[in-house]
Amino acid sequence: MARRYDSRTTIFSPEGRLFQVEYAMEAISHAGAAIGIVSQEGIVLAAEKKIISKLLDDDKSTEKMYKLDDHIACAVAGITADANILINYARVAAQRYLFAYQEPQPIEQLVTQLCDLKQGYTQYGGMRPFGVSLLYAGWDKIHGFQLYSSDPSGNYGGWKATAIGANNQAAQSILKQEWKAELNLKEALQLAVKVMSKTMDSTSLTAEKLEFATLTRPGDEVRYRVLTDQQVEALLKEANVGAEKKEEL
Amino acid sequence: MGDSIMSYNGSAIVVMVGKNCVGIASDRRFGVRQQTVATDFQKIYKMHDKLFVGLSGLATDAQTMYEKLKLRLNLYKLREERDIKPSSFSHLIASMLYERRFGPYFVEPLIAGLEGPENKPYICGTDLIGAPVFTNAFWSPELAQNLVRHVRDFVASGFGARGFVEVMAQCLLSAVDRDCLSGWGAVVNIITPD
Repeated sequence: MARRYDSRTTIFSPEGRLFQVEYAMEAISHAGAAIGIVSQEGIVLAAEKKIISKLLDDDKSTEKMYKLDDHIACAVAGITADANILINYARVAAQRYLFAYQEPQPIEQLVTQLCDLKQGYTQYGGMRPFGVSLLYAGWDKIHGFQLYSSDPSGNYGGWKATAIGANNQAAQSILKQEWKAELNLKEALQLAVKVMSKTMDSTSLTAEKLEFATLTRPGDEVRYRVLTDQQVEALLKEANVGAEKKEEL
Repeated sequence: MGDSIMSYNGSAIVVMVGKNCVGIASDRRFGVRQQTVATDFQKIYKMHDKLFVGLSGLATDAQTMYEKLKLRLNLYKLREERDIKPSSFSHLIASMLYERRFGPYFVEPLIAGLEGPENKPYICGTDLIGAPVFTNAFWSPELAQNLVRHVRDFVASGFGARGFVEVMAQCLLSAVDRDCLSGWGAVVNIITPD
């Protein structure tokens, strides 16, 4: 019934929908989940790795999380190839700002630039939209720690905690109940583990299926750290979601 | 002396290879022709723990060159997830300068670093359009003729880190005393494997 209006990305359907954009979001809902949580001491990003194989060569340190600049990091969900283009664009944009103004780019500005790019693909050109949603985590001197999420339509929002990718509604509702403003980094990490364990499809959580990163500002410098396998295992053990996956009340 | 745009601001920089270490030293003067404007001007920049670059020539071009290099290096580090090798960096600077072959940046960069897992000392200099000079003893930009003469006498390939500081400092200071457009102090940076 809606067939006639799918093929062109840049036209509306009679019901006022942009089908290609919706199909892109559908693609993302099959991709590995990613969540972000803002705490008093910094931001936690967690993601589910979809590609796990012992044949995989470890050339890049992470599959779903990337540093965009010294003070901004992101997590992606969706088509990896599309994500790589956007990440590269964001990195270059951030450096261009740094070159021009000799100070780090405010996060919302970078998010807006990327979203304007994404929106262009829904209105001009006839090329399909990017099949990626991103979570941006960063610190700037204007608003402190911030978390944003954007989707293929070019829409973005600022969040205290949010989820993208598979089962994101389930993750979002758990976050809604459990997030509080007084969380410290440790509690945020534990909350992230809890949310991931409840929303991931697999029966048991192991360090090789998950990626965790934190963005903090211990002194004068923003620090982006990806947790090592050992640290992730320790975290999983504490939350008691290892191989047996005990229920937690 | 408005004869050469390269001596408009005046600067003296030298790089030298020592035993298991490299050194790069510069003066601190920033002037406009004869008038000295600042005596704490930075001409040597740390690109990463094992790589320093000194930019001599026109000060405005040197500063812009540094900012452009910072941009390129930040992107490199984000994509490659490692620090750039000094030899790759020299090639990068050389091509950036040659891009402006017919309207160049009036900068003559000197690169000093430790290359590879064995921390082999590496120095390089280029002229303002990117012709690189790889030596394993010392280098100084064309204008500082006196510096070259002094340094040649002190070629320090056998010096260890501590003695090296003295050697570089003395070379720089004695050459600088003969050049009215450089001086007002000196900065010596030595890179060692630790």
